[in-house]
Amino acid sequence: MTNPNAKPKIAFYWAASCGGCEITVAQLGMRLVTVGELVDIVFWPCVMDFKYQDVEALDDGEIDICFFNGGIRNSENEHIAKLLRKKSKLLVAFGSCACGGGIPSLANLFDAESVFERVYSTVPSLDDSRGTFPTPSSQVPEGEIQIPVFYQHLKTLAQTVEVDYYMPGCPPVVEQVWNVLQAILSGKLPAKGSVIGADAKTNCDVCPRRKMGPSERIKEFKRPHEVDLDPDVCFLAQGVICLGPVTRAGCGLPCIEANMPCRGCYGPPDGVVDQGAKLLSAIAALVDTDNPEELQQIMDSIADLVGTCYRFTLADSVLNELKYG
Amino acid sequence: MNHVDKTSETFADQVRAIPGGEHLEMCYSCGTCVSKCMIQQKVEPEYNPRRLLRRVMLGQREEAFEDPTTWLCSACDLCYPACPQEIHISGVIGAIKQLAVEAGYESPLETVTVDESLCSGCGICVAVCPYEAHSLIEKEIDGRMDRVSTVDPNKCMGCGTCVAACPLGAVARPGIGNAEVLAQIRISESGKVIPTLLVFVCDWCLRADADVSLLESYPKNVRIVHIPCSGRIDPQMALIALRSGIDGVLVCGCAPGECHYKRGTYVSACKIGLLGRMFDQMRVDDGRVRFVQIGTQDRGRIREEVDTMLASLAAWKEARS
Repeated sequence: MTNPNAKPKIAFYWAASCGGCEITVAQLGMRLVTVGELVDIVFWPCVMDFKYQDVEALDDGEIDICFFNGGIRNSENEHIAKLLRKKSKLLVAFGSCACGGGIPSLANLFDAESVFERVYSTVPSLDDSRGTFPTPSSQVPEGEIQIPVFYQHLKTLAQTVEVDYYMPGCPPVVEQVWNVLQAILSGKLPAKGSVIGADAKTNCDVCPRRKMGPSERIKEFKRPHEVDLDPDVCFLAQGVICLGPVTRAGCGLPCIEANMPCRGCYGPPDGVVDQGAKLLSAIAALVDTDNPEELQQIMDSIADLVGTCYRFTLADSVLNELKYG
Repeated sequence: MNHVDKTSETFADQVRAIPGGEHLEMCYSCGTCVSKCMIQQKVEPEYNPRRLLRRVMLGQREEAFEDPTTWLCSACDLCYPACPQEIHISGVIGAIKQLAVEAGYESPLETVTVDESLCSGCGICVAVCPYEAHSLIEKEIDGRMDRVSTVDPNKCMGCGTCVAACPLGAVARPGIGNAEVLAQIRISESGKVIPTLLVFVCDWCLRADADVSLLESYPKNVRIVHIPCSGRIDPQMALIALRSGIDGVLVCGCAPGECHYKRGTYVSACKIGLLGRMFDQMRVDDGRVRFVQIGTQDRGRIREEVDTMLASLAAWKEARS
């Protein structure tokens, strides 16, 4: 029987992601000491020495909450996602990669072979003198080594196992991590399936910049480094694509305060099924031309359209679904 | 004491004094504008710019303010190049409408409304509206000051371009809300036969009645969804349609220069154009979502477009199998 006074058991895991989500937890600083007193961390490979066997030895559902960051790019990611799902009462997709695929899912623009070709053969910074090319299994003097199988495309956590909560952000900002931990400890989590640690409205709701007027339309889109950006005016009004209109608020606008447009890491608000496609409506609203040729030129001025519109959500997009089924 | 006697100023003088109204009496009532007008043909037989201008000249103020012509003109300007006197008729009608609004008359059109509890105040609706009907205001909502969009119902023509643009579904008008349009797309969920082709057709691009009725004659593999303007299309709708098993989506809007809602067709051209570029970059099957602009003179063109699209989808399907 479970001891009602036992501390909640918490797990953290890092799959296909950069590690920034782990750093945001570490940014809790001295508050981590409080967390450590209130919860029992049973698995956190980035910080403490645990082995997969330690997780396997747990009872099913023994972990109260698992924070899982990263997408599912290989067979190891999938194996651990399934294992942690089985062992956890609540599974949180933690960070943009687990929620929408994140930056690693931009590789879904290419097949796995092209990714390997680029990374291990043609990338300019490569020391190719060793001719290393990974294969799932290889012979070494000590025997056969097997490494995880690299999948054709990256999947989100929810495309692999059932997810209870989604906590977006690249990474989720530390104050939201703290808010969510407190909500967990006080038993105040919303209904399953909800987005936590973020707001319902979009970044424009809290952005202090002057919005575009009815006649402020544009003839060319520019990248942020190509414009001397006015820090008081909406980026879109300055011809710089900002994902603020299609991105949940909750981050506290660190990018916008640094005079850089929102790149969309907090994901789309409720009601938007495809963040990139929704953004097209905002872009088209601004375009000022009745000339088909000029329209082509304006559209050409957007560098890396998919990468811009789906920077953090490509794996979770309908576009991705049409490609990979 | 010297003061201007306003009563001596005629109705026509007042219209002329407003920018756009200055060409009022150049009209010699030939009626060419009426013959070009889509509203007269499709919506309101009583719609008649020529008669409205006469009413102003005759000082029939109330009659002019109550005339549907004053309110229904969307400034598409199909009549403008046809007018032998080169009168910018929508400008004159706009001047009459301004006086009507000042006199307390209200637009009879069904216009969009903003759900302030959803609105983030991003201003995309302000940017996209062809009529400058949207504006952002500061207002106290739930005890705090917030910036939200508001709509001037006397400027809104109900085209729905803002409904498509709003990221939060905060803007809607009856009949063209997101849920209402999606209900016509998500066919697979209702257990019905999934059509091959979904056609979004704007209410104004097909001048000939025969072309409109032709759409109804297509077999069940073509589903027609009527929208007020191609600008109402949200690219998400096309993606949702393809995801639900529909092979292709054809969006029909007005020809450049003929858009009933001034810029809806340009906005849509950009949206669908960018969606196509996304398909290319992602290397998913191209040509499954197309936008065509049909001119008022292009009688029968809709049949060609639908047939061409069905043929290309059949070829695409065959190549895949």
